[in-house]
Amino acid sequence: METLLIELLKSLVSGLLMGMVFALVALGLTIIFGVMDIVNFAHGEFLMFGMYTTLLVSPLMGVDPLLSLPVCGVVGAALGMVCYFGVVRFLLRGPMVAQLLGTFGLMLALRNLALLFMGSEPRLVKSGVLVGRSLVLGPGVVLESTKLAAAVLSIVSFVFVWWLIRRTKTGMALTATSLDKEGARYMGISTERMNALAWALGGASVAIAGGLLVNFWPVEPNVGLLFTMIAFATVALGGFGSIQGAFAAGILIGMIVYIPPVWDAATSFAGVDAPTIHGFKYTFVYLIYFLIMVLRPQGLFGWKQ
Amino acid sequence: MRKLAGILAAAFLAALLAAGMVQAADKVVKIGVIYPLTGGAAAEGRELRAGAELALEIANKLTPGVDMEMAKNAGIKSLGGAKVELIFKDHQGNPQLGADLAKKLIEDDKVVGILGCYHSAVTKTVAAVCERFGVPMINDSSTSPALTKAGYKWFWRTTPHDAQFTRDLFEFLKGLTEGKAKGVAAVPKADLATLASACEKTEWGTNVDDQIKSYAKEYGFNVASSILYAAKSPDVSAEVQSMIAAKPGAMLFASYTSDAILLMKTLQSMKAAPKLLWGQDAGFEAPEFVTTLGDASNGVLTRTVFTPQVAQVKKVAGQVNELYKKKVGHDLSGASARAFTGLQAWIYVLEKAGSVKPQAIQAACNSIHIPGEQLVVPWFGIKFATTGEDIGQNVLGSGMIGQYQKQGDKITLEIAYPFELATANLIYPLKGF
Repeated sequence: METLLIELLKSLVSGLLMGMVFALVALGLTIIFGVMDIVNFAHGEFLMFGMYTTLLVSPLMGVDPLLSLPVCGVVGAALGMVCYFGVVRFLLRGPMVAQLLGTFGLMLALRNLALLFMGSEPRLVKSGVLVGRSLVLGPGVVLESTKLAAAVLSIVSFVFVWWLIRRTKTGMALTATSLDKEGARYMGISTERMNALAWALGGASVAIAGGLLVNFWPVEPNVGLLFTMIAFATVALGGFGSIQGAFAAGILIGMIVYIPPVWDAATSFAGVDAPTIHGFKYTFVYLIYFLIMVLRPQGLFGWKQ
Repeated sequence: MRKLAGILAAAFLAALLAAGMVQAADKVVKIGVIYPLTGGAAAEGRELRAGAELALEIANKLTPGVDMEMAKNAGIKSLGGAKVELIFKDHQGNPQLGADLAKKLIEDDKVVGILGCYHSAVTKTVAAVCERFGVPMINDSSTSPALTKAGYKWFWRTTPHDAQFTRDLFEFLKGLTEGKAKGVAAVPKADLATLASACEKTEWGTNVDDQIKSYAKEYGFNVASSILYAAKSPDVSAEVQSMIAAKPGAMLFASYTSDAILLMKTLQSMKAAPKLLWGQDAGFEAPEFVTTLGDASNGVLTRTVFTPQVAQVKKVAGQVNELYKKKVGHDLSGASARAFTGLQAWIYVLEKAGSVKPQAIQAACNSIHIPGEQLVVPWFGIKFATTGEDIGQNVLGSGMIGQYQKQGDKITLEIAYPFELATANLIYPLKGF
C-alpha cells in the first residue's frame, strides 16, 4: 500500500511540474492567438532559437546558463518582431489559409536556418546550477531541478502576463484589439503596435522557456515539433487565447501523461500481470483533447466564437 | 547562309555534347543512399553518410595502404573502370517519406540499387518498393529480425540482426553470473535476475522488446517492466519512473540519439541506481551520446559492431579508421563502420556481377562471399542466406558489447563481450548517478 501511495504521490508531483512546463511553452502561442487569431506554427522554432541562444551565449559570456535567460528574452522578442514586420503583417491582408501557410513556411525557414548554421546533431548544456541537479523530497520522491525551475518560471510568467493584460493600459489595449480590431482603431489604439507587441511578448516568453529547458533537454533543429504538438493541444484545450485556460490545460495534460506509471503501480499492487500502457501516453492526451473539442469546442476557458 | 551555318554548327556542338554525355553516363554507376540526415537520428545519419562516402572514395580511386581488394582498383574493374556515384536522400526517420524517395531514386535518377536506411521502419517500406520494382537493395544497418523474414528476392542485409545481438546480451549476463567477465568475480544471479526495459515503439524497438522478453525467459531472467515509448516525445520521466519502481538489477534500452540522451539525463536526475545499463546500439553508440553526457556515460554498455579497439586485432580496421579520422575528426563508430561495409558489399557485388542489370546483381548477391579479412568490422565475412528462414541475411556477421570507460579525460568504448576479446576490466556494478 505504501509503495502505491508513494508512486501516486510521485506521479502527482511530477505531473504537476511537467504540466507547468507544458503551460509555459504554450503561453506565447495563446498570447499571439488571443490578440491576432493567428496560429503561429513557428512557435516550436522560437523555442528552439531560445535553446540555441542559451547554448551559445552562456559559454560566450562565461556565465551560468540561467543568467542568459534575459538574452533569450531579447532574442525571442526580436525574432517575434522581425517575423511580424517581415512576414505576418503582409499575411493579414490575405485569407485565413495564407496566414496558416505563411507561419508554416516560417517554421520551415527557421528550422532550416538552424540546420544550416548549427548542424543537425543534438547538443546539451553541460554545466550550470541546474544541470544534473535534483531535489530529494523523501524515499524515491525526486524533483528534477530544471522542471522545478521551469515550473516556478511558469507561475511567474503567467502571473506577469495576467497582470499585464488585466491591470495595465497596454494590456487593455491588447484585449481591445483582440475583441474588436476596428473598434480599437477608432478608439485611437495603434493595432499594428499591439500586434507587434503580442508577437514580441509571445516570442520572448517561449524563447525564455527554451533557454531554461536546454538545461535538461538536448537541442537539435527539429526539437520544437515535440513541444508544439503538446502546446497546440494545450492552447486548444484551454481555449484559444485564454491565458488561465492554457495554464489549467497544461497541468491537466501533465497529469494525464503520468497515468501510465500509476497504472503500473496499481497493477503491480493488485498482483495483476497487466501490460504497461506507456505506449499510449499521448493517446490519452489527444483523446481528452478530442472529447473536449466535441463537447465544448471553445475549450475549457474559451470565450471566442 | 550565315544563319544556316550557325545553326549547323550549334547542332554539331549539341550532338558532340550529347555523345560525350552518353559516354560519361556509361561509366557511372548510380546507387541511391537513403539515410536519416535530419531529425532525431541526424547524428547517426551524419556518421552513416561519412562512412559510405569514405568507402566510395576508396573504391573510386587507388588507395595505397589499405589492404582491401577495392582499394587496389579505381572504379569497378569488371565494368570497365566505371565510377560509382552515390545519391543521398534524407528520410528524416519517416517510413512514408523513405518509400517516396526510393520511388524517385528508381524512376527519376535511374539508380542501379539502393543502400540504407538505418531505421528498420523505413527500411521495411523501402524494401517493399524495391521488391515491387525489382531493384536490388543492400541494407547495412537495420537490425529488426522481421526484415529478412519476408522472403524478399531483392533484399540483402550485411549487419547481424537483433536476435543475435540480444542473445549476445543474455550470454553476457549469464557469463557475468559465472565469473567470466574480465576483472569481475561471479555476480550472484539474484542481483541481475530482475530486468527493466524501455524500447522505442516503431519496427525496430518493438522487435527488440520481443527479443528481450523471449530470451529472458530462455535464460531465466524476469523482465519486471517492459516499456514501449515514443522516441519523438518531449519527456520520458513517466517511463523512467515506472522502470525505477520495478527495482531492476539491469536496465535495457533500444533508443535513437535524442531520446537516448534524454533517457540518460532523466535516469540521472531521478537518481536511478541500476547495477548495469545496456543500450541496443543506435543512440547509445552515436558520438553525441558521449560528447553530450560526458562522465554520466562512464560504465554504460552498448552492443556494437565496431570500436576503435578492434584495430588492435585487425590491421585493415586500423588503416580505414585512420582515413576516417582524417576525414571526419573522430573514430569510426558502429554506424559508420556498417555503412562503410554496406557500400563495400555493393562494390564487391557490382565487381562480381560485371553488369548493372538487376538479374546479374541479384545472382551476384546470392553467390558472393567476401572474406572477413576484407572487412573493418570483426565479422567472419559476408555471405547471404539463400534458403531457410532468414533469406538475404548475412550469415557470417557477429556482434560485440562495449563499455564506455573513462580514463583520464578520455572516454573510450572498451570491448566487454565476447569475453575472450575484452580489452579492459569491466566496470560493475555502476557507481550510480
